Amino acid sequence: MLAAQSISKSFTGVQALRDVSVTIGGNEVVGLIGENGAGKSTLMRILSGTQSPDSGTLTLDGKPLRLRSARDAARNGIGMVFQEQSLLLNLTVAENIYLGQEGEFTRFGLVNWRAMRKAALRQLGKIGVDIDVTARTADLSFAARQMVELAKALTLEDSTNCPLTILLDEPTSVLARADIDILFTRVRSLKARASFVFVSHRLDEVLQVSDRVYVMKDGLIVGEYRADKVTAPQLHEIMVGRGLHSGYYKEAQQTPPRPAVLLEAAGLGVSGAFRNVDFSIREGEVVGIAGVVGSGREELTRSLGGFLPQTSGSLKINGNAVRLASPEQAVKLGVGTVPRERRTEGLVMFLSIASNITLANLGSVMANGIIDHRRERSVAKEWLKRLRIKAPNVDVACRKLSGGNQQKVVLARWMTAGSRILILDHPTRGLDVGAKEEVYELVRELSAQGVAILLLSDTLEETIGLSHQVLTMRDGEITARFEAAAGQKPAQVDLLRAMV
Amino acid sequence: MTLHSEQAEFPPQSRNAVGAPRRPSLAAWKTTAARRMRAFAPVFVLVALCILIAIANPNFIELRNLIRIANAAAVPLTLAMGTTFVILMGSIDLSAEGAVAIAATTLVLLAANDSNASNFGWWAVLAAVCASGFMGFLSGNIQTGLRIPSFMATLGVWFIGLGVSTYLLGGSAVRLMDPALRGLALTRFLELPLSVWIALAALAVAIFIQYFTRLGLHIVAIGGGEDLAELSGVNPRRVRIAAFTIAGLFYGVAGVLAAAQLGQSNSVIGDGRLFAAITAVVVGGTALTGGEGGVINTLVGVLIVTVLGNGMVLLGISPYIQQTVQGLMIIAAVASSLDRLRLKIVK
Amino acid sequence: MTALSQLRDLPGVSSGALRNLAPPALLVFLVGFIALFVPSFLSVQTLTMVLADTAVLFILATGETFVILLGGVDLSIQALASLASVIVAQLLPSLGLGAFPVAIATGLVFGIASGIVHVGLRVPSFVATLASGGVVAGLALLAAHGRAITIEESGRGYTEWINATTWGVPNVVAIAVLVGVAGFFILRYTRFGRFSVAVGAGEPAALAAGVNVNRTKITGFAISGTLAALAGVILAARLSSGSPSLANQLLLPAIAAVIVGGTAITGGLGNVGRTAIGALIISVVRIGMTFVGVNIFAENIVFGAMLIAAVAITIDRSKIAIIK
Repeated sequence: MLAAQSISKSFTGVQALRDVSVTIGGNEVVGLIGENGAGKSTLMRILSGTQSPDSGTLTLDGKPLRLRSARDAARNGIGMVFQEQSLLLNLTVAENIYLGQEGEFTRFGLVNWRAMRKAALRQLGKIGVDIDVTARTADLSFAARQMVELAKALTLEDSTNCPLTILLDEPTSVLARADIDILFTRVRSLKARASFVFVSHRLDEVLQVSDRVYVMKDGLIVGEYRADKVTAPQLHEIMVGRGLHSGYYKEAQQTPPRPAVLLEAAGLGVSGAFRNVDFSIREGEVVGIAGVVGSGREELTRSLGGFLPQTSGSLKINGNAVRLASPEQAVKLGVGTVPRERRTEGLVMFLSIASNITLANLGSVMANGIIDHRRERSVAKEWLKRLRIKAPNVDVACRKLSGGNQQKVVLARWMTAGSRILILDHPTRGLDVGAKEEVYELVRELSAQGVAILLLSDTLEETIGLSHQVLTMRDGEITARFEAAAGQKPAQVDLLRAMV
Repeated sequence: MTLHSEQAEFPPQSRNAVGAPRRPSLAAWKTTAARRMRAFAPVFVLVALCILIAIANPNFIELRNLIRIANAAAVPLTLAMGTTFVILMGSIDLSAEGAVAIAATTLVLLAANDSNASNFGWWAVLAAVCASGFMGFLSGNIQTGLRIPSFMATLGVWFIGLGVSTYLLGGSAVRLMDPALRGLALTRFLELPLSVWIALAALAVAIFIQYFTRLGLHIVAIGGGEDLAELSGVNPRRVRIAAFTIAGLFYGVAGVLAAAQLGQSNSVIGDGRLFAAITAVVVGGTALTGGEGGVINTLVGVLIVTVLGNGMVLLGISPYIQQTVQGLMIIAAVASSLDRLRLKIVK
Repeated sequence: MTALSQLRDLPGVSSGALRNLAPPALLVFLVGFIALFVPSFLSVQTLTMVLADTAVLFILATGETFVILLGGVDLSIQALASLASVIVAQLLPSLGLGAFPVAIATGLVFGIASGIVHVGLRVPSFVATLASGGVVAGLALLAAHGRAITIEESGRGYTEWINATTWGVPNVVAIAVLVGVAGFFILRYTRFGRFSVAVGAGEPAALAAGVNVNRTKITGFAISGTLAALAGVILAARLSSGSPSLANQLLLPAIAAVIVGGTAITGGLGNVGRTAIGALIISVVRIGMTFVGVNIFAENIVFGAMLIAAVAITIDRSKIAIIK
């Protein structure tokens, strides 16, 4: 049994964990839920040896345990499957599974590759998947890589005598539903060999796979439940500290669109991705697109953002026919993208808030061809106030901000640029509930101001809740259109039928 | 009601997803095939180059000329083997010229020479290789210990190596008088000078390190992602120091061969060798970002560069523009072998 | 972002302010140290000489700063400077002052060419400029027939203004200051300057924000090429000769000057002011060794060690996720 007792940890003034105690029994799946910033990740890092607590102790079967590194943790039977995968894409599956533990196949520094491949095959056999161990990891699907990662964690079984504890940090956030089911089946069947800690912010999944659930909030454990004694809405209330009310998507603030059409696509296509796409977005309208992976909706948004040039059909912006060849051109025409990859594409993380806000429209703070730094900072300060961006000042690098505040900076940039068309590509991904609500509010505000919005979202609910109109896509074509005026929202089942 | 229904992400045939590599789709097969083609691009370049030169001047394929090419390739090959390991980690090693100077100087000063009375024979070779290996060890420790980019760490070591060698030589050239050591360049075995055989042995050792040892795997792993490799239990610091040291040892062998070929050591013995080595590595298809390519690629790269140089001489191209032609060739070779789809950002 | 770099990405104390002071502090320390041994080092005459000797290195390094800020590196500057010196030396007798714009324009053209090879063929800048440097070096050899070309008495009239002194300030120093001020101004106050920093700090995000990344990069290489040629011209005037290998020892010191000044080799962080400090540090070390009396054969040893020490002191590691 692995236990943490009275663990506390703080980072420069922020108390990440306060007096946290958890136990993980043998052959048990323990769920760990909480909003972003609740302290889940810090706790996982401490359990996996990559960070040490300020106070408190870890024990393994009652004996005190000190972990100085991931390697230390591994020696004690604790393995971690990372949210963003830790496999090296340039190595083969077998090399990845045994990287850092080649010892048993190595004599005088020489590796017996045949033995390693055979052993890797055996590890994959434990979770019952059939993957070519000589394949380059880069060639595998995401789901297959997750299985390899799990197999890698299971190698600890052979290298230690300790009971095995495997920490799964948001393993499902990048997986498709069917792959999640496979993962859960494996986890359940492996319960006889190991205990699991399962971290997620998707409550239904946590309940589905766990025996016991801990709820974290603000660095504290605020609840511990048996999974069969609690429901998802109950957990949600405990986690957020309030119920999920009907006004979650701010439906009451949904204003009807105006008649002017800002963006119009006719027969639009990108070869190999989507074709014959017809739709239009009016001033103040939110158009949501629902579809499964491979439906072409991702490519459609990339194309409208100028990242992926169209190969057929026509596109009109403000009534003028255009062909978007680059993001630069799209931005000039008033199309702003809030990309899914916030950390790499959304903001220049090392640049200040002010520079990021003005980046798409430097002209607005220039006089005689020269950047007016005073004006730039005052513009940025204005946005800080208007969007309630929490930051010490406008010179702070964006990477220091929380996800929700970063997203607001992205929106501030597009408003500074005067974008009349916004493409929101999974705008709430990775945000906690509070930050999500703020983004919803902003979407409503923008739409009331007449901005046309194209929305792709993580969940159907969010798509339906926010949109005036929802289009469904399948295999690169639009399959159905649903009106979604406030109070007359379509049902998820109807959308699903058109999607799969 | 589900709080976060995920149906929206439902992939069409995801049941197959887990076993995907066993049943690759046509598109996946195409990208794999394209990658394989690109991996062989340097070989195609080499073959095409040989054919073109041979057509223009049949003397190219005479045995005498081929031996000349082998001889010219010996030192660059040995040097580039060392550089390859560092580049595979995604680092860069600029110390090659300094290390060569150190090795050559150590060799001539310890073996029979026209400047002092020492005559340690083959021990001088050992000392030379070790001295250069120590420079590599120093680079590795400076880079990991002081946490500064390898570019700057090895630049500093380059100057140190050059300085030590100039200081020891007192700014002049010292001749190597040991006939056995001169023999490394002059004695032939099966038509080829011993230096070529030594370079081939160095190649064999490099192949062995990269493909058969744990160290080789760890070097490639660090090139693929140092932080991830570290999470898996690879000790980046140790591997980095080892790789830089190995590079130093290869430079040492190259320095010995260079001194034997020239019959002397001077402060400019390494001049121009650094960028030649890096060029060969890059032209062979090893990525400067690390993790892709290896010593076999470098062999091809060295041959491309050497054959091109030899061909230009055979074709009577003005020696002045040979650098120009080589520059254009680098661009052509690298542009044809880069997998740009995988490289989202090119820096 | 990979798992571990996320783990490391924790709130921490910003040591930025202290870091910014490290390069100037090092420079002051070095000057003080040398003056301790040789008080005459602080004479106006000596300091003027140091500045004049730094001018060419600084101009080269300023061009390099633009490329390094973008996250790339330009290895072709020494070849371009040499080519420019050859052009000036050869054309002065026939074109007179017209030789200067021709030489500098050549730098501009080859800078643009390097940029186009880099962004158009998507070849890493290290390789692209290594190759274009080779091309240019070959052309310089061809143009000069492999020899150094002395600027004869007849041509020297045209280079006098470079070697002259105005109100006690050598004109080369004035030129360097002009270049430095212009560089500082461009980076801080122009659209291109802001875009350069954005591209270096986060290329995908800059692209998504509508920045024309390719144009920004090509412009950076164009500036680097132009300044390299300018440096070559000045060098030719100072040495009264042009040669295909005239600037061969200047590439790595120029890059070193940029990095020692505290500009991140990964891009996105740095400015011309830092490069000025870096170039002065390099020069002071070089010249100081003669003053302090280091054996001339051992100078490179001290220089190498100082280089490592300077980088170790001045580099801002918080902006580099993995040090390669």
